[in-house]
Amino acid sequence: MTKSLSLAKMLETAALLLIIFFIVLPIVWLALTSIKPQEKAYTTDIVFTPTADNFRIIFSDTSVIINAGTERERGEVGRNMLPSVLNSVVVSGATILIAIPLATIAAYAFSRYLFLGNRALLIWILTTQFIPAIVVAIPFFTLFRSIEIFERPLLGTQLGLIIVNMSIVLPYAIWMIKGFVDALPGEIEEAAYVDGCNDFQVLFFISLPLIRPGILVASVFAFIMSWNEFLFALIIGREMRTMQVALMTTSGARGIMWEQMAAAGLVVMLPIFFLAMFIRKNVVYGLTMGAVK
Amino acid sequence: MRKKRWVPWLLIGPALLVIILTTIYPLLAALYYSFHKYNLRRAPQFAIQLGESGIHIDWSLLSLENYTRAFSDSRFINSLEVTFWFTVFSVGLSVVIGLFIAVIVQKGGWLHTLTKVLLIFPFAVSPALKGYSWRFMLNENYGIYDLLIDSLLVKPLNALLSLLNALPLVEIPYISESIVWLGDKFWALFMLAMSETWGWAPLIALMFVGALGSIDEQIFEAARIDGANRVQIFFRVTLPLLRPVILIVTMLKTIFSLKMFDQVVTMTGGGPVRATQTINYYIHQMGFVRSLDIGYASAMSYILVIVLTICAALYVALVLNRD
Repeated sequence: MTKSLSLAKMLETAALLLIIFFIVLPIVWLALTSIKPQEKAYTTDIVFTPTADNFRIIFSDTSVIINAGTERERGEVGRNMLPSVLNSVVVSGATILIAIPLATIAAYAFSRYLFLGNRALLIWILTTQFIPAIVVAIPFFTLFRSIEIFERPLLGTQLGLIIVNMSIVLPYAIWMIKGFVDALPGEIEEAAYVDGCNDFQVLFFISLPLIRPGILVASVFAFIMSWNEFLFALIIGREMRTMQVALMTTSGARGIMWEQMAAAGLVVMLPIFFLAMFIRKNVVYGLTMGAVK
Repeated sequence: MRKKRWVPWLLIGPALLVIILTTIYPLLAALYYSFHKYNLRRAPQFAIQLGESGIHIDWSLLSLENYTRAFSDSRFINSLEVTFWFTVFSVGLSVVIGLFIAVIVQKGGWLHTLTKVLLIFPFAVSPALKGYSWRFMLNENYGIYDLLIDSLLVKPLNALLSLLNALPLVEIPYISESIVWLGDKFWALFMLAMSETWGWAPLIALMFVGALGSIDEQIFEAARIDGANRVQIFFRVTLPLLRPVILIVTMLKTIFSLKMFDQVVTMTGGGPVRATQTINYYIHQMGFVRSLDIGYASAMSYILVIVLTICAALYVALVLNRD
């Protein structure tokens, strides 16, 4: 009995190590490749002298980088990634700055007021997240081609991308924040009404401060969603490249420059990595909108 | 209570307006486009025209041609098949592996806890990046996956086969050590599903861990006292109790898989020979890359909308039933 038990324990440990290995492998491999010298990037060697060259190359304007007396060719279409990093920051930042306040007051109303169509509206909002992004992208592509702002078409601008991002971020944020408001006991608000506060005083001075942690979690989720968004960035963002699209520009005459791709990939991934750690406890709730408790 | 009746509408109004503009408008516009001949290379002629005498509708410009074209377009049919198999592989693998991980990590020592923490890692990797990194790692010349598959799976299997072939029975062909994973029609689709599984199985495991944690420990205790072993407990106790959660998670993952796009672009580019062209990818090709046929792309995306609406209705029914 004890023998079979310890065998089961060993199998379990082996399974755990295998799970860890496969989860971590692609991330570790990307990180390793990003600091590999170019001549080692196309091997499976794990012994090498680490270098920051790849990061320097993706953030430089020159197409040739001189390093230790050797000339290195950059990808043919390779370009400085810094504008793309800024595009991603601006688009994701502006998306949450617009979506989160709107979502917060709407979520509060859905949670605290009984009005005609409350539940039906909520379920309708839930189902909007199942609309395929491509069907949103097509009409906005044709619309933004013909709308001009400051004599430039809206297509391929940060503003255009922020607008279409609303279609995925806003419904999601409403559901998420509503969950946090639901979890807040209503007694404090009742007491404030009794003391003579009006609806808005209760909302802004009593409830909002209490759900601040929830709003923060929803903001992080919304940021990650728009940061990682690819289809809209490709069709609507176009030449205004966000980081996700800029990953493609690491390809040159000899195909994808993997060491540069890995460096750019790390730049894309690292901020989200830390944000994901921050919302670790809420990920299941966030992914399923509370459908799985 | 002094709550006023107009207040909720004031609070919901702005968000509702933005949602209507960014989802209802495109849904209606795409439906309208789908009945037209509308290619960006030519100036479109729309059925609803604003003339001097008000709105005029030219019915002759509307047709179902884009829809009939879709169902006689072998490439569109191909994309339906590809999406179907991708969904079957990715949902099946993600849910089964996720369940396996959840049962293992649910309780135990520090290694279990560490694994639980690591389960969140793939969430940080964007789908586009996932596709690139898998493409890199599957490369037949310098990919780490290729090396691992060859040395841990193919070589031992071939060694086993050589033993079997030494017996005077049947000659079993050896497995090739030089498979170009993304150059083979089956393997490319399978690996695309594997990359999706890498991203989702750990997250689905986290969902199951939460669900398992909410099951009363006494139920497992009672089963153990009755003499059930781990395998029996899993199939007779855990699985039936998790059934509602498994259904919800499966439906949710199915919906995500049907919309597969990002990794197709960055990992396989739809190839080899259209073997990984999902519906979304083919629509993108027809609407924005190969041809600029907005009418046809709209019609095809509406077919996808109908499929997803059915799935979404099922999903909502499952979730509401549970409450």
